[in-house]
Amino acid sequence: MADSTIDELIITCMARELQGEVLVSSVTAFGSLAAHLAKSTHAPDLAVLSTPESGMDAVPLPTLSLGQFLTDHQRAIPLTMEDIFDEIFTDRFRIWINPAQIDQHGSVNISVIGPWDRPKVALVGSRGIPEDTSHLSQGLYYLTAHSPRTVVAKVDFISGVGYTPERAQWLGAHGAPTRLVTDLGVFGFDPERGVMVPRSLHPGVTPQMVKERTGFPIEIPAGTPATPAPSAEEVAIIRAADPLEVRKLEMSSGKESAEKLVAIYERERQTLHAAWPRRRH
Amino acid sequence: MNKVMNTEEVIAQIPSGATIAIGGSSLSRKPMALVRALARSDRRDLRLIVNVGGPEVDLLVGTGKVAEVIYAFVGFEVMGLAPHFRVARQDGSVKFQEWTEFTVMAGLDATIKRVPFLPTHAALGTDVLRVNPAFKTFQDPFEGQTLVAVPALKPDVALLHVNLADPQGNGVILGDGHMDALCAKAAGKTFLSAEQILLPERLQTYGRDVHIFRTIVTGVVEAPWGAHFTGCAPEYRADLLHVQEYLRASRDGPSWSQYLEQYVYVSDKEYLSRLGGEHTLGERLRV
Repeated sequence: MADSTIDELIITCMARELQGEVLVSSVTAFGSLAAHLAKSTHAPDLAVLSTPESGMDAVPLPTLSLGQFLTDHQRAIPLTMEDIFDEIFTDRFRIWINPAQIDQHGSVNISVIGPWDRPKVALVGSRGIPEDTSHLSQGLYYLTAHSPRTVVAKVDFISGVGYTPERAQWLGAHGAPTRLVTDLGVFGFDPERGVMVPRSLHPGVTPQMVKERTGFPIEIPAGTPATPAPSAEEVAIIRAADPLEVRKLEMSSGKESAEKLVAIYERERQTLHAAWPRRRH
Repeated sequence: MNKVMNTEEVIAQIPSGATIAIGGSSLSRKPMALVRALARSDRRDLRLIVNVGGPEVDLLVGTGKVAEVIYAFVGFEVMGLAPHFRVARQDGSVKFQEWTEFTVMAGLDATIKRVPFLPTHAALGTDVLRVNPAFKTFQDPFEGQTLVAVPALKPDVALLHVNLADPQGNGVILGDGHMDALCAKAAGKTFLSAEQILLPERLQTYGRDVHIFRTIVTGVVEAPWGAHFTGCAPEYRADLLHVQEYLRASRDGPSWSQYLEQYVYVSDKEYLSRLGGEHTLGERLRV
C-alpha cells in the first residue's frame, strides 16, 4: 500500500468508475485528475476535456485560470457547447459532479439552501446538471466532506433528479445516479428500491462513523468491504499531473484556501509553460 | 457600412426595460467594458439572459440596474458565490428565473428558428420545472413521451466581447465560443466589443474563426482589455486577484461605493490606468 492522502484516495475511487470511449469533463480538479488517472491506467480510450467545454484529448493540468490556454498549448481538439450537449444527449459524456447536497435517493442540489423563492443561502443555480440527469447512463457524484449537511434525507432543491416518482414516470434509467464517492467510502444506488447503499468503506472508517455523518438512517451490511487503497503508481500519476496541488483547494476553506489560491495563481503560468512550451495561434 | 462606435453610443441604443443577452461564460470573455458602461448609465429594470453568469450579473445587480435575471448559473467559480446576486436572491429585490445550460441555448435557438418552443428531456423530474413557470411539459404527438417545452427567449439586445472585429461587424472568436453566436442571432440588435478592430481584408484571413457575421451586428466598439476582469483567451487570463478585490469590496456599502468610484464610474482608459496600466496588466495576465 502506498502512502496516500484522502484526496488521492477519493480521486482513485473516482477513476475506477470511468471506462470506455467517452468524453470526460474536467470541471473540477478532482474530476480532471480522475479522468487522467483512468486514462493512464485501465481506460486508455477516454477522451478527456481540458475544461468544462473547450478541448478534447488534453492532458489535464489543474489550474485556476488556464483551461482554454491548456487547450491551445496542447493543440487539443476544440469542441463547442453544442458538441458537448450532443455528446450528453447521446450518452457519450461523463462528469463527476460535486454537489452541495445529495440525498438518500441520489437527487442532488447546487442551487439553494432553504426554499428556492426565499433562500437561506442562494448558491449558484442548477447549471447543466438537469441535462446530465435526464440523459447519462452513469450519474457520478463526489463529496470531500461527508456530513449530515451534505448527505441528507431530502435535498432542499432537486437540481439533478435521483430515484423519485417523477423519474419513474418520465425518465426511467436515463440519468439515474450510480455512484457517490466521499471521504468515508464509496456508495451505490439500488435501482429497485431507489436508495443509497454502501459499496465499500475507506480504510479506518467504521460503520458507526458513516451513520453519524449521514443525514438519514443508512444500513451498513456486515461484510461491506474496505476500499482498496491507491497503488504507488496511482498516487504517483495523480501527484505528477497536479504539480500545483489545485486538488488541495477542494479540501480546504476560508483564509487558508485564499492564501493557497493566490500562490497557485502566481505560479500557474510558469508551470504551464514548463510543461507545454508556448505555441502561437 | 462602418459600424464603429464608442461604448456610450451603444448604451444610447439600449432603453430601460430592455432584455439583454450577455455572451461569454463564467470568468471567460464577458463584455465587461460594455457592462460597466451600462452600470454607470441611468438605465433600469433591465432583464438579463445569461448561461453561466458571474461578474456581469453581479455588477449590474449590485448597481441596481436589473429587474429580472434568466440564468443557469451565477457565481465566481472557485472564487466563491456572487455577492450581490446572492443578496438579491435572498431578499427578493430582483426577480429570478432559474433555467439550465442547454435550455438557455434552446430558448435562444427557438427565437432564431422562429418557433415558439423547442422540446427536450432536460430538466424533467427536477425542481427547475417546479419553480420556473416558463417551462411547460407536453405529450409529443409522435411517441407520446412527456417532454419539456422550452419557450423562445427573445433578447432585444446582445452584448458580446470578441478577440477581433472589422468595422462592418464581423467578429473573430479564438477561444471557446460559448453561446455567443446564439445570443447574436437571436437578438434584435447585437453589439460587439473587440480587443482590436482590423481592416476587413485582414479579418477575413481568420477564416473559420469568424463566428459572428456582420449581417446581425449593429455596432462595434474597440475595447482593449474589454473582458477584464474576466479572461479572453488566448490574449489574457482572468484576473483572480481583482476578483478577490471585488469580493472584498462587496462586503459592505461603503467599500462597494468606493469600488464603483474607483473602477466603474470612470472611462475605460482611466479604468486601465487605475489597474496599473496596460503594461502591468500584460505582465500579470498574458499567458
